[in-house]
Amino acid sequence: MNKISADAIQQIEQLNRDYICALDALDMPAWLACFNKQGQYTFIAEENYRRNFPIAFMLDDCYERLQDRVTQVVDIQSDSTEHYQTRHFTQLTSVTVADDGRYQAEFNYSVYYTRSDTKKTQLLCVGRYIDLIDISNASASYIDRKAVTDTNVLPRYVAYPV
Amino acid sequence: MANQKNEEPLLIWPKKYNEVPKAVFEMEELWPKELKSIFYGEEWHPIVHRAEIPNPGDYKAAELGEMPIFAVHGEDGVIRVFQNTCTHRGTALVTECAGNKKEFECPYHRWLFSLEGELVGCPNSREFTPDFDKKNFGLHQLRVEGFCGLYWVTMSDKTPPLKEYLGESFYEPLSRILGGDGRLKLIGYQKVMYDCNWKAYCDNDGYHAPLLHKAFALLNWQGGKGFQKVTENGHLAFESEIKVPDQVEALKDASILDFKGTGTSSGSIVLMSFPLTVFSKHMDMLNVRYAFPKGPKGIEVHYAYFTHEDDDEEMVRHRIRQSSNLLGPCGLVSMEDASVFSRIDKGNKTPGNAVFQKGVEDEYKLSFTVKQNDESGNLPRWEHYRKIMGFKRAEQ
Repeated sequence: MNKISADAIQQIEQLNRDYICALDALDMPAWLACFNKQGQYTFIAEENYRRNFPIAFMLDDCYERLQDRVTQVVDIQSDSTEHYQTRHFTQLTSVTVADDGRYQAEFNYSVYYTRSDTKKTQLLCVGRYIDLIDISNASASYIDRKAVTDTNVLPRYVAYPV
Repeated sequence: MANQKNEEPLLIWPKKYNEVPKAVFEMEELWPKELKSIFYGEEWHPIVHRAEIPNPGDYKAAELGEMPIFAVHGEDGVIRVFQNTCTHRGTALVTECAGNKKEFECPYHRWLFSLEGELVGCPNSREFTPDFDKKNFGLHQLRVEGFCGLYWVTMSDKTPPLKEYLGESFYEPLSRILGGDGRLKLIGYQKVMYDCNWKAYCDNDGYHAPLLHKAFALLNWQGGKGFQKVTENGHLAFESEIKVPDQVEALKDASILDFKGTGTSSGSIVLMSFPLTVFSKHMDMLNVRYAFPKGPKGIEVHYAYFTHEDDDEEMVRHRIRQSSNLLGPCGLVSMEDASVFSRIDKGNKTPGNAVFQKGVEDEYKLSFTVKQNDESGNLPRWEHYRKIMGFKRAEQ
């Protein structure tokens, strides 16, 4: 079993911090910058994931789709959705070495949201990230980030990636 | 029980046919009457498609009103729907939303039921009442009818046969949403709670589509010719061409908007069966939206998506990408509807009536002639609801 360096774990943690901070600031270009050109993002219910059903809540299976996710949030849906503030809480639960500078990582996550009208805070979803990460040239990026949500019934519509 | 003839009416309906009292979305005391008259009344409610439980022993749990039920694929290939309760002391038999079982065993006293609902075992039965007979203790089965693989239930013996109930203007396009022949494969669900009354959820109309959905304009995505058909018992069918431009400049990957089409498809079909189920086929997405009101406030919607058994790999992939990104609680198009459900709920806490205008030619007459982008197609539904609930109109 390959030993995982402290530096690699630090970079995986830093990438995750960049990711959740981008979302909590609703800085979509910064969210996009967490992925490399092979990047994919999926937000999927645990029920579908477990039963091998491919339907997701969000399925960005190429870099162009990731770019379009930014366009959707910034340009298309901005005036029709009710804004909410998110706070992501994550915990690294496993890291394994894949190959060629790639790492598999898993984080648990919980995401709270605060409605801009009522200012009340509720739980949006809980789950785990299943990541494939590239670390090269001293920087880490997502090849694949799957947000698998245990919250199979979402408490509301979800306007932003998790 | 109180004599209903002497009860004060819960609500007086406006005299104009194009007005709906906003209180109808907010009055919690309407819910018991809606349960009795609509959900347990003479209506059909779709519960499961055969593609969701394709093998013997597969089951799916659901709710009819507040009653837990489950559909089972029997060893004999027949799909039945049972109340989710042991016939002994009432314990729920299934607790997962779906699964596969060889039989259904109640954990409390180990009463055992076959996939066909017969009681096949009950420990210590020699000590039961003298006239106890297992034959009398099978699971409580609901009346079921299938159409293109989709199974509907009703609590009433008086409900007309399903095809008669739906009418040809509804079941013909429904057959096309269900792949023409019902040979579908399930590809997954999107499930969400919307925080509005169930009637607000299903009051979407033909007027809003080009106006609310900014995506349509930004994508230069214009609907072609189309029509609406309404029935006296509140079913609504929209059908239209979809013209997706060759070049969609707003998106880097416009392939999710491709319309590949099949022999049974036209661009966009949206159906709403009374009281609250939506079926849609936008481009290549085949979607049934099972909806479960959680009392007077809140509705849980399960978007079920399908492919057709004859689809090739490319078409399956296309349907998955399109379905995951355009519809549902995060979808490019329908998220805007979800936003409106929430705002409607907020706005309806004010007094007065919601007023329908688009397509209304005579406020004092109900019309079944509705153009593609009219909102008046919802008015026969409201009239059907008013009659079932027994609300009188104000005097003219």
